[in-house]
Amino acid sequence: MYNTIKINAGDGGWGGPLTVTPTEKCHTVLSVTGGGIHPIAQKLADLSGGVAVDGWKTNLPDDEIMIAVVDCGGTARCGVYPKKGIFTVNLMPVGQSGPLAQFITPDIYVSSVREQDIEVLGEAADVPETKAAPAAEEAAPAAEEAAAAAAPAQKQGFVVRLGKGVGSVVGKFFQAGRETIEMVIKNVLPFMAFTSTLLGIISASGLGNLIAKTIAPLCGTLPGMLVICLICSLPFLSPILGPGAVIAQVVGTLLGAQFATGAIPAKYALPALFAIDGQVGADFVPVGLSLGEAEPETIEYGVPAVLFSRIVTGPLAVIIAFIFSIGMF
Amino acid sequence: MALISKIAEGFMSLFTAGGDTFKGWVTGIIPMVVCLMTFVNSIIKLVGTERVERFARRITRFAVLRYTLLPLLAVFFLGNPMCYTFGRFVDEKYKPAYYDAAVSFVHPITGLFPHANAGELFVWMGIAQGLMDKGLKVGGLAVRYFIVGLIVILLRGLLTERIYAFMTRDKA
Repeated sequence: MYNTIKINAGDGGWGGPLTVTPTEKCHTVLSVTGGGIHPIAQKLADLSGGVAVDGWKTNLPDDEIMIAVVDCGGTARCGVYPKKGIFTVNLMPVGQSGPLAQFITPDIYVSSVREQDIEVLGEAADVPETKAAPAAEEAAPAAEEAAAAAAPAQKQGFVVRLGKGVGSVVGKFFQAGRETIEMVIKNVLPFMAFTSTLLGIISASGLGNLIAKTIAPLCGTLPGMLVICLICSLPFLSPILGPGAVIAQVVGTLLGAQFATGAIPAKYALPALFAIDGQVGADFVPVGLSLGEAEPETIEYGVPAVLFSRIVTGPLAVIIAFIFSIGMF
Repeated sequence: MALISKIAEGFMSLFTAGGDTFKGWVTGIIPMVVCLMTFVNSIIKLVGTERVERFARRITRFAVLRYTLLPLLAVFFLGNPMCYTFGRFVDEKYKPAYYDAAVSFVHPITGLFPHANAGELFVWMGIAQGLMDKGLKVGGLAVRYFIVGLIVILLRGLLTERIYAFMTRDKA
């Protein structure tokens, strides 16, 4: 009695969803999770109709392993099984990482899986002795078994539990560090490279002095800031100026250079931050609204509503910021 | 010959200046940002986004919280662009206003919490770095940016909500 199951990525997880169908030869869930059969491995086995085995005690030929369940923080195990071509369920929220990262793909790997992330899709088609039992009935005793299987897991020694607890916290910290470094390499450094090159050319070519003498004094006043902000907020310009905040970032950096030389007084820093950002997200309204699961009609009227609102709130933000910078610098 | 070498020198000097700027940013900004981001990302993982979502559902009824605390939580815990998914917790008629508030906070938050939108750090950092080059401290500016940001998103939320209601008044 085998069922096809679907495994989704859990909170903070990556990869999947995996659709797995057990067969006569290949129906074993291998639990490689620091001793014992993990409840998730047991659950996978129960729902699919396979068997769960403890990977630390038993060794199996690769072609008999249906799913490998690991709790790997992102170095070895999470890559080993995908490399072998075995469906891998990682209990930790780890994405593509470690030396075997290139084998970790969403069609073979899913992470941060909890019990509620596993669904039964239906009976496996290639099983002959079917009694047409609905999947729901199958799931009910399975849940009891899972509960029964969880009981021995709780009897684990204090040291093991402490170890796992510490491991889980350390794993989260480690993963946070990995995400941070990835962010810095993929987004922050490339922007720095591009902007510092641009700034270098502007300052070394004498263009910087030109800006400092002509445009900067105009920008360095409240009316100047309001004009900049108003231009940025115009409904037909703001969606063009918005993408990736690239323009706001470049202008911010250019203004920063003017603040550094003193061409613009430091007290205008706060209004400037809002003046250059009147268009923030104006390019992204439809996508942002659909991320919030808005109806198509809401998007249709929502886009102009946001854009028109900015004509007022953009300059207003500059004025509020100007008031709030009293007493600073 | 002298002319050519002069041109070459001038050409190289463009990039020497750029290199100096880059070096200053990498040594001056990245180490602190990396540690801060790692710390905050760890906290977020320990708290778990589900707990935040449960809390977020409860506060959407109040207009003031809907355009201040809700976007703040969303941007802090989910970052740009996933923060907009919290829009699903608010009523359909408030969604454009919520989006406007959330998106307008993705830069003011970076002064204190760069993890939330590290890819667009330089809206804040560009200006802040200029002030630091001048020898000024930017901590106070970061706090004010954050506070004014909250005030601005509240006003934006309320105004966009009104405009949207006005535009759809015949439908309702």
